[in-house]
Amino acid sequence: MLSPVPEPLVRFANVRKSYDGTVDAVSALNLEVARSEFLTLLGPSGSGKTTTLTMLAGFERPTEGRIFVDGEDVTDVPVEKRGIGMVFQNYALFPNMTVAENIAFPLRVRGVSRGEMNSKVMRALSMVRLDGFGDRRPQQLSGGQQQRVAVARALVFEPRLILLDEPLGALDRQLREQMQYELKHLHQRLDVTMVYVTHDQVEAMTMSDRVAVFSTGALRQVDEPRRLYEAPASLFVARFLGESNALPATVRQHDGGSCAAALATGETVTAVMPVRCAPGSAVHLVVRPEKILLGKAAQASPNRFAARIAEVTFLGDQTRLRLVAFGADDFIVKLANTAGQETFAPGTEIDIGWQAEDCRALAE
Amino acid sequence: MNRHHATGIVMAFAWMVLGFLALPAFAVVPISFTDTRYLAMPDEHWSLQHWRAFLSNREWHDSIWQSLWIACVSTLGAVVAGTLCAIGCWRASSRWSERVRTAMILPMAVPTIVYALGIYRLYVDLDLVGSAIGIVFAHTVTGLPYVVLTVSASLANIDPRLEQAARGLGASVGQTLRWVIVPNVVPGILSGAIFAFIHSWDELIVVIFIGGRAFFTLPRRMWDGINDNLDPVIAVVATGMILFTLLVLSAELALRARRPRS
Repeated sequence: MLSPVPEPLVRFANVRKSYDGTVDAVSALNLEVARSEFLTLLGPSGSGKTTTLTMLAGFERPTEGRIFVDGEDVTDVPVEKRGIGMVFQNYALFPNMTVAENIAFPLRVRGVSRGEMNSKVMRALSMVRLDGFGDRRPQQLSGGQQQRVAVARALVFEPRLILLDEPLGALDRQLREQMQYELKHLHQRLDVTMVYVTHDQVEAMTMSDRVAVFSTGALRQVDEPRRLYEAPASLFVARFLGESNALPATVRQHDGGSCAAALATGETVTAVMPVRCAPGSAVHLVVRPEKILLGKAAQASPNRFAARIAEVTFLGDQTRLRLVAFGADDFIVKLANTAGQETFAPGTEIDIGWQAEDCRALAE
Repeated sequence: MNRHHATGIVMAFAWMVLGFLALPAFAVVPISFTDTRYLAMPDEHWSLQHWRAFLSNREWHDSIWQSLWIACVSTLGAVVAGTLCAIGCWRASSRWSERVRTAMILPMAVPTIVYALGIYRLYVDLDLVGSAIGIVFAHTVTGLPYVVLTVSASLANIDPRLEQAARGLGASVGQTLRWVIVPNVVPGILSGAIFAFIHSWDELIVVIFIGGRAFFTLPRRMWDGINDNLDPVIAVVATGMILFTLLVLSAELALRARRPRS
């Protein structure tokens, strides 16, 4: 017996948004967010990720298309009636209220009784580890503490959905990493659905169940972080998530999911081709720097090329080599700092290679 | 010339300018204690006779009372209308709201006598000359720019996302206004109120035109007094007005000092 497909909590159906009538900030967006999911909208600035979040929150209305939350069409529902919690980048705490009053705000506008309000605020404060801070003013707290207050305020009224708009952008790196895990753990503990906007790919990978990658107003790919990294569907995604070596090439022939492509320098390479391209079309062959085999290991691989080491940079957990290869000098190799790892010197001639499944032929 | 010297000269000049600005207002203080029967400095000794005369004069008391309630009511009107206008312009923040804000400042920019003439013409047709509502309305309108300016300045410091946050957390427009926007611009509202009050309190020209026979506010009674006879009681009233204005202004200063900085 087939179990019914559960209705997603959020569904964008053919959503388009244009602010000026000529350029689309978001176009042809179809995206679903599952219940209890942590979905990140990732992309550079101007990619449409924030516009997407703003439309879901209700601050902007789509030019075309509908948005559904919990099966209900909310496209025309005003912000305050959507019951969505929201966390802003600059916290947006009310400076005229104490921390406790800030957190109580969503309860106050809903007419919750005083006693219930107090106990819920107390619980929210301890959830973000700020017990005893209720009487302070937001201005007296550090950036990280202010952000925790903003999170507590967004979840105190137990919304079905919490939106976070680059909430960690203003924090320094160490605090940001710590907050990433705190948010992740809160999400797991509360079983709430979160939609998170960021331009930081590490942040996206750390916290998300799935990541939706945006560029120039279009959704490029939605998948689990590991699959996005290992199996990018486009050159943009490959370049935006992690580092990639991208070699321009021309497709010679293809066979199912793989192809043979000729590099500009003449060599032929076998690669995985996720999206089928006709022979003769231009693609980029994308290989992750940590998948490159060197020396003896390379000699056994099906794709093997000559290269010269131009630069060696020791980064602690890894060593980064810049190689002259394929007529350019920006081929990157990363070597993990493991026991018995060979060391390399600049100027050395060396064989490089990779497994066919680690190389993907992607259209521009 | 050494640096120290130059600083000294600049300082002396600054104090001179300051003195020139402020001191003439205080000339009335010794005059109010004059022993003569006309407006002049005390001749042989200081006397309290004109203060006594002022305290026992009903006309002056009526004028004070009139000035006071007109200032209070028109301040209230200017505060409510000016605050709402400033918040509306801030929220809309379009080309049009910028124009509206400029128009609101017009009563301050147009020469008062021109403005008074225009109001007078209008009030003759509306039969509002010499009416309480007419004066209160005129003072409300001319006090409006102060409120619009100070509240707009306060709003400029508010993060526009506060409103978004409030709405996003479930607050209606009214709740957002009441609990988030207005509390954060209270200092601006109070400053505007104080300036609007002072404006009405010492406004003369408009009252001369539209006061008719019924309204002799404090400034108008002083003006008439100076024209008719040079009664030193005017200096007494002026001293009182200066004291009162200083009091209100220092309240404004104290308020500004207390304003929390984020």
